[in-house]
Amino acid sequence: MRTDPPQALVRPTRPFRGTAAFLWTEVLVQAHESLAMATAMVTQTVLLVFVYILNPGLIGVALIGATLFSSFALGQRVLNEAAYIRIDHKANDLYLAGPMSPEGYFLGMATGILVVYIAPIALLGTLAVVVGHLNVVTSLLLVGLAGLVWLFAASIGYIFSTFFRDNRAIWAYASLFFNVFGVLPPVFYPFGYFPPALQPVALLMPPSAAAALLQSRIGVTALSTGQVELAAVGLVVETLVVFVLAVFWARRTVRGP
Amino acid sequence: MSDDPLRSVDLRKTYFTKGTPPVEALAGVTMSVRSGERVALLGRNGAGKTTFLKIASTLLRPTSGQIEVFGHDVSTHPDRARPYIAVVPQEGKPFFHLGPREMIYTYLRARGLSRETSKARTEEAIERMNLTEFADRLCITLSGGQRQRTMVATVIATQAPLLFLDEPTIGMDPFARREVWASLRDLTTKGSTILLTTHYLDEAEALSHRLYIVERGRVLVSGTADDLKRSVGGTLKVSLPEGAPQAETFRSFGETVVDGPSLTIIVHPERLGELMELALARSLTATVGPVTLEEAFLRVVGRNIDED
Repeated sequence: MRTDPPQALVRPTRPFRGTAAFLWTEVLVQAHESLAMATAMVTQTVLLVFVYILNPGLIGVALIGATLFSSFALGQRVLNEAAYIRIDHKANDLYLAGPMSPEGYFLGMATGILVVYIAPIALLGTLAVVVGHLNVVTSLLLVGLAGLVWLFAASIGYIFSTFFRDNRAIWAYASLFFNVFGVLPPVFYPFGYFPPALQPVALLMPPSAAAALLQSRIGVTALSTGQVELAAVGLVVETLVVFVLAVFWARRTVRGP
Repeated sequence: MSDDPLRSVDLRKTYFTKGTPPVEALAGVTMSVRSGERVALLGRNGAGKTTFLKIASTLLRPTSGQIEVFGHDVSTHPDRARPYIAVVPQEGKPFFHLGPREMIYTYLRARGLSRETSKARTEEAIERMNLTEFADRLCITLSGGQRQRTMVATVIATQAPLLFLDEPTIGMDPFARREVWASLRDLTTKGSTILLTTHYLDEAEALSHRLYIVERGRVLVSGTADDLKRSVGGTLKVSLPEGAPQAETFRSFGETVVDGPSLTIIVHPERLGELMELALARSLTATVGPVTLEEAFLRVVGRNIDED
């Protein structure tokens, strides 16, 4: 009988350890839930239909918005999944009381959900490129901004998930949060339609900031240099701050109070 | 610093919730678990077992006191303790949209084991826990007991040096429970150490080298199951179905319990003959059996409740 565990069994935990493995776990979990995947595009599709009926000329803008909204809405899925695993399954204890890093758990979950839903998002993005006649630079900008919006939303979603003790409360608040901030601001419609007094607020909200930058790029919206800077810097800084906070929070909340 | 897999000294945990009085869940727990041991924590609901396990497994901060896993301070350096441990959480469930095989394999990969090792250990755990028949069915389609077996298989497959199992066999049938026991015994012969909680006292007795009985956040008794049984004043139990009216006569033999018309006496084996003669003289029917761990537990905890 040994007195000390062999060191080979006991590798120290390093930052982001387990991200790839948990990503794959999440992909398998989500892939077995085809109904959930089918419902992922409902809101976007309904809004696109409305826009097309009311003003077909805005469908290019709406498709860009739908792509960004889809990335943003993944935050709601992260929130729901993290809370469900923790509250209903207590499986987070299984993973976190072990060598896997807490930030690897968070990022693996977020990227796993992204991987599963990437196909419909890519379809919307492709339609936006084709219908809106986006050039390569604008297309790459769309991809980059959608990525930032996803990282922001996933980080916020994970942080929020830790505050709930009951899944019933989550259904209401998560849906409210992601729909209000993803649909009400000028994401699916031109930035200029938004009340001027509230435009700075919209430029500080990641989905509408990204949409405004892309609308400005394709000439649908005229933004001043200051507005472009506010939207771009705000988006990058907010995303980085929230991501770092999520990593810190993931580590902090492994242990209860 | 200790080389014991687990050691706690005067460990305390108080829960503070706004608007309600503080709840002292652990009130100074000192205990140790030696390498290769299987130790059971027993206690009533709310006695502090799960709180202790959560602190030991780095999932909860203690209010004060010291706790170490393989010499690493769990309070200050949980990240150093985590590679040594694996946990079956209380009421934990596997992912419903994974099959047992996927669940175990992906979990081992998340712990950093190689593909080959993960695959081999997954198959071994599936076979060991008798999960082969439904290894590829989604857990959502499995019974509660089968899901619990999946959870236990997942953790057993880690072969972690220190395993914490919070009511690991809850909801399992007697056959499945015995499979778990065999697997846990096998793991400790390979060098792992196990701390478990259970409300099945036959399980605690069959499985554990030592037991700790916890009540209101304190350790009441520790030792082997036999030590515990001896601590209640004898290892034999004499039941007299019509003996209650004559309870006073038998009081000198040991602890007596009156339940309706019947009388039960805990007695040392050396006084058994004398007691049986007296019962015969009084024309009382008597049956003799060993004191069970459950009876000892009820008496130890019951005494404490009475004293409080």
